[in-house]
Amino acid sequence: MTMAELKEHPVTQLDVSAAQPSDDVARNTARGATNSTIDWRRWFGLREMGIYYALLLLVIGLSIVTAYTGRANYLSFLNVTNVLYQSSLTAMMAIAMTVILISGNFDLSVASVAALSAAVLVSLADALGFWPAVLVSMLVATGAGMLNGSIVQLLGINAFIVTLGTLTAIRGVVLIYTDGQSLSAQSPEVIQAMRTFESGRVEVALPLAVVGAALVAGGLFLAWRARQKAVRLAPSAFATILGGLCLVAPLLFGEGQFALPKPIIYMAVYAAAVWFVLTFTTVGRRLYAVGGNPEAARLSGINVVRYKMAAFVLCSATAGFAGVLFASRLRSVNPAALQGAELTVIAAAILGGTSLFGGAGSVIKTIAGALLLFALTNGFNILNLGANYQGLIEGIVVVVAAAIYTVGGSGRRRKT
Amino acid sequence: MTELQTRHPPMSVASALPLMRLEQVTKIFGNKLVALRGVDLDIAQGRVHGLLGANGAGKSTLINILSGAFAASSGRIVWKGETVHWSSPKEANTMGVATIHQHIPLVPTLSVLENVFLGDAGHWRRAETLQNRFDDLCKRIGYRLDPNRPVADLSIGQRQMVAIFQALGTGAELIVMDEPTASLATEERELVYRTVRRLSQVDNKAILFVSHFLDEVMALTDCVTVLRDGQTVMRAETSDIDEARIAEAIVGRQLVALERATHRHIASPQGSEEPKLLELRNLASPGELEPISLDVTRGEVLGIAGLLGSGRSELLHAIFGADPSAIGEVRIDGKPVRRSTTAAVRAGLALVPEDRARQGLVPDFEIWRNTTLPALKGVSWLGCLPLRDRERQRAAEGIARLRIKAQSPDVPVSELSGGNAQKVTIAKWLFSDAKVFLLDEPTAGIDVGAKADILLLVRELAAMGRAVIIVSSEFEELLAVSDRILVMRDGRCIAERAADETSEHELMLLAGGQTAAPPDRETMTKSEQP
Repeated sequence: MTMAELKEHPVTQLDVSAAQPSDDVARNTARGATNSTIDWRRWFGLREMGIYYALLLLVIGLSIVTAYTGRANYLSFLNVTNVLYQSSLTAMMAIAMTVILISGNFDLSVASVAALSAAVLVSLADALGFWPAVLVSMLVATGAGMLNGSIVQLLGINAFIVTLGTLTAIRGVVLIYTDGQSLSAQSPEVIQAMRTFESGRVEVALPLAVVGAALVAGGLFLAWRARQKAVRLAPSAFATILGGLCLVAPLLFGEGQFALPKPIIYMAVYAAAVWFVLTFTTVGRRLYAVGGNPEAARLSGINVVRYKMAAFVLCSATAGFAGVLFASRLRSVNPAALQGAELTVIAAAILGGTSLFGGAGSVIKTIAGALLLFALTNGFNILNLGANYQGLIEGIVVVVAAAIYTVGGSGRRRKT
Repeated sequence: MTELQTRHPPMSVASALPLMRLEQVTKIFGNKLVALRGVDLDIAQGRVHGLLGANGAGKSTLINILSGAFAASSGRIVWKGETVHWSSPKEANTMGVATIHQHIPLVPTLSVLENVFLGDAGHWRRAETLQNRFDDLCKRIGYRLDPNRPVADLSIGQRQMVAIFQALGTGAELIVMDEPTASLATEERELVYRTVRRLSQVDNKAILFVSHFLDEVMALTDCVTVLRDGQTVMRAETSDIDEARIAEAIVGRQLVALERATHRHIASPQGSEEPKLLELRNLASPGELEPISLDVTRGEVLGIAGLLGSGRSELLHAIFGADPSAIGEVRIDGKPVRRSTTAAVRAGLALVPEDRARQGLVPDFEIWRNTTLPALKGVSWLGCLPLRDRERQRAAEGIARLRIKAQSPDVPVSELSGGNAQKVTIAKWLFSDAKVFLLDEPTAGIDVGAKADILLLVRELAAMGRAVIIVSSEFEELLAVSDRILVMRDGRCIAERAADETSEHELMLLAGGQTAAPPDRETMTKSEQP
């Protein structure tokens, strides 16, 4: 190489680097063009809204079929609240499962923890009274969560393995504790307390209308402000309006009366609280960051271990509460109670698009996932199709959902 | 310089026919990114050929082409006198080229024996045959490993030997070693050197030895090729040159744009007058970092010069509390900081990590959610409800200030180019009340304009009374921004220089060589020429 060539050298180097930014700008303006308007195809595509479409399709399909075959009205107030009531425990646990999945962990032990909590409650309620027994069973459940979390976070063992172990072990504890027998509450006061806690309906027409109207108003306000400031219309405004309408719409069917079973109320309040924390608080933001990239979160000064532990505790505490509701519903518990429920819980979270790798997930979609599963079961019962086909169909639904999330996701990326 | 660079090597280099010969090989990624713009290389049997170059000079690309992982965009590869086109590593391997990558890809759960013969064709594995072949290899290399131990139990040096065994097990004639000694301790390095010598002298193998360490290249190789900006800039017999010449060839001409962007700052007042902001007392990390004590004052930029594996990143992580096994004391404004990242951030430390994708950014988050992550409280209502408008505004400020090329704060960071993603990792800390910035290779892999922006920002931060510790393997940048430079090697701080009293050349020699002696006058003056 000659000296002259050598001199040209830095020039060509600068050329390349100068070309790079301009390329960047071009790429970004191209993206900007799609960004300034709402990417409708993305926000209303299968990946974002698929679970709602599926739920809607299923409900419409079942209503048509039931109406056509002259069976009980699928969309009757009684049947809808029935589906909601059946799904409430699972939905509640699925919400907590969503939180732990977002944090990048996994909990298989929820159903065992719920069963343990139920067994503790039923066995102690007669002696201690209902509320002290609830306290003890919640403590036991929280302890199980601490145990799971400590083993996973402090010893660094994979959460799947740890909770697979505690799933079996805690079920074993239930068997030992109950000596393999069914337990039931005897004292009339306890039974009465359980009944007031779990059974009965609450009139919610007014609160629903208020919350729904507030959501619609809030969404309209967001949209109006976006228009004023000439910024991009956030899809959240639409989501808020739609959510509000979804809350108000059922009131039309209830003829002014709208009494819901208590577990549905508990589930709704819990879901609202978790949704609020995840969406609007620093805690929620950091949780998503912890799941999305634990190392980046740690180097941003977030106490990753604390967040992951908290998710475990929340998950088990929720399972404990679900156990309390379960025991109160039956006023007795058998050692095999809720066996296998953890799989339905996880299936609901996955149907809702929660990532198994952490960092992504939505509480509302998880609830839709749980509703989808229970609407399926309910539909089978109404259509008298028998339980034999149920497992097959449910399994197919879960796999198809996962396929849509995966394939739909990469398809979108290929386009941009 | 000219007499060292010849397009075709003198006949004495290639004893007869070179085993492998590259002629004007280029590699272009996509439409724009030129990684190699014409590389000539001759590798002869029985010789150790050193390949050097700064980061981004194209070494890895070249190795990937040699090993068949990439196809060259143009140019010829001649193997034993015939032009070849390799389309896969397997093909290259069958023909006799084995590559030992820097991060040794072994299966940790399998035994040494199984790893060595992992790529073997055929469906049947007969333990005795393999055992015999293994014993044979041991004899040839003159090093004995227990064949039945799982690789997970081995030290890094031993794993390196397994990789060498593996390469020889395929019957390779050319062995490409990509920085084989970067993460090894001294005695393990000796072992690799011995093996390399033996392979070339006794077994008559050709070896392409890629390294950053100038002293080992001088001691080990027979001839040397230096790459810079994707081109061969030097091709010489090792006996004809010295470390200083190599260093010069690696560094090349300095980038004028950079120089202009970071105009020389006035030497800031030294130590005693300014209050100490950051104090380290015997900060160490067992096995990675020797105890180090250090003071950094307000408004000071401290550069850390060191090569990969010198302990430079470990130092920053230890200061930041991100290294749980670190011991010693870190004080900020005289107050000791507890050993956790949360405490570090609260005390006013900020770390921009080396690997931005893995350590710096949450890929699912948009720019605005990434930028506010370390200082969420500052944009929150009552300290717990983040206000999106304020967050977006912060991100928009960051975008404007660092000239990040993004349409809006709503762009997901996974869609940004390298330099812009790097700027986001820096923007994260601009709005927190960080007092001490720890920047780990903030300019690696980004274009010149972005580099200048970042270096300017460093000076700006210092002018605002913050302290900055900046790690870089591009020493010209360190000279441009730092007040003081520490040189690290093997987890130790081996020298300290004021930035205006040293040269890139000296730093290169210190970081790459074992001697901390001052360089001779001649090389000093040479490198200081504009």
